[in-house]
Amino acid sequence: MNLVHLPASIAAILSSISTLLQTNEAYLDPGSGSYLLQLLLAGLLGSLFVVKASWGKIKGFFQHLFGRGEETPPDEE
Amino acid sequence: MKNSQRLTASFRDPSGFVFRHNGTLYRQINTTYRENYQTLMKSGLYDDLTRAQLLIPHEEVAVEPAEPSIAYKVIRPEPLQFISYPYERCFSQLKDTALATLSIQKRALKHGMSLKDCSAYNIQFHRGRPVFIDTLSFEIYREGEPWAAYRQFCQHFLSPLALIAHRDVRLNQLLRVYIDGIPLDLTSRLLPTRTKLNFALLSHIHLHAASQKHYADKTVDKSKIARRMSRTSFLGLINSLESGVRGLHWKPIVTEWGDYYQAMNSYTPKALEHKQELVDQCLGLIQPDSVWDLGANVGLFSRFASTRGIPTLAFDIDPVAVERNYRACKAEQTTSLLPLLLDLTNPSPSLGWHYKERMSLLERGPADAILALALIHHLAISNNVPLDWLAKFFYQLGSWLVVEFVPKCDGQVKHLLAFREDIFPDYTLAGFERTFNNHFTIHQKTQIQESERVLYLMKRRE
Repeated sequence: MNLVHLPASIAAILSSISTLLQTNEAYLDPGSGSYLLQLLLAGLLGSLFVVKASWGKIKGFFQHLFGRGEETPPDEE
Repeated sequence: MKNSQRLTASFRDPSGFVFRHNGTLYRQINTTYRENYQTLMKSGLYDDLTRAQLLIPHEEVAVEPAEPSIAYKVIRPEPLQFISYPYERCFSQLKDTALATLSIQKRALKHGMSLKDCSAYNIQFHRGRPVFIDTLSFEIYREGEPWAAYRQFCQHFLSPLALIAHRDVRLNQLLRVYIDGIPLDLTSRLLPTRTKLNFALLSHIHLHAASQKHYADKTVDKSKIARRMSRTSFLGLINSLESGVRGLHWKPIVTEWGDYYQAMNSYTPKALEHKQELVDQCLGLIQPDSVWDLGANVGLFSRFASTRGIPTLAFDIDPVAVERNYRACKAEQTTSLLPLLLDLTNPSPSLGWHYKERMSLLERGPADAILALALIHHLAISNNVPLDWLAKFFYQLGSWLVVEFVPKCDGQVKHLLAFREDIFPDYTLAGFERTFNNHFTIHQKTQIQESERVLYLMKRRE
């Protein structure tokens, strides 16, 4: 890096950091109760979401296990 | 800038604000929101949302900002015909706005952004569809952080929907009392115990209310919370809220007005046909830019205006009539007609900070033409409003007035007077004309065939 450009580069980095720091203005109070409840439920909600999203695969697996795999159209997911 | 007037509805969010200049509405974006705005525009989210008609389109303009020292850009959003409020919406309108908000949030997450607020006031009906109007509500998504707008979504959307579905449709009026949505502890107390068996309502209302109560008097140091919320959990939350909203239903029961034209027998088929012809004729004659149909019921007469492409609002006091009208509008894919809930004897007032956050009905007018059909007797007799006061009210609401006078010999007025003393000596055809003539010029007067009712076309005296 050309040393002549160093001050300008440092200024640019500082400016980016400052921009990043001011990126989000959470003007709304999420409320500690609401915030912590989400963290409490996070695992459960995430697991339910994964199960729901993979429901086709799970169903297909069990149908295949019990010998009904041929009834499942390949694009059912 | 001179002649710029900052609108008082947008003062909480430091990202920007709405102002009016020379009659046009603009939104100033402040420098602090620059990164978020650039991400919204460059990530493809803006294009995705506007293409899906979920976000109001805007264009960047070279208009001088209202507060230049903090301004980054000025945008001009596509103008809306009318601003309506959540307490003026029926169940299906509330549900559609809730689902539109969640759909926006899911699309935002796909593009690395998230809604930082979730106010029901940010969603408006535009050309028959719910559209998000606050372009500055999107922020760059930070993985690990819970949803800042979760509480607001539950208060603004889930609470009223659950209360209507499980308790009573009239509870949506709590939104008028609580401008930031119905408090969750109140919703939890009002909902039947059986709703605790519903996973979405158990977690997002009952447990949510309990959690708020538990932490209300505790100081939590956010920086010491080690647990994070993964992106999958975040999507799970949105998904759970969506399933919860979709699972709420309200079946309109038959109310006094829900089936007015079939049940009340106020008109013979010929009388109804003649009245329709007269209303259509009046609209053809005056060709208004906008119509407010007051006491519209299911919108039979509103449609004579909306089918002409005139932006029309169909107000009614009965949530069943408004619900039916809205469902019909959706089925017909009507873009010019918006049914809304309104009690004319106690219309939407100015609300919020300094009475300036939410506008009264009058502040949102005037309309070009007012339809007041089969309405006068309810206001003058059931609510004892003097005819002169009625004339003055309509005078403020619109330039043209299509009004129906229902005389005392009519079955409906007889019904209203059956159990009460007749204290309305001036309520006669002559008294009505004399009073309204002080404020309006009568252009047309026609008695409806096979009826004692008279239809007038009047123009406001300037």
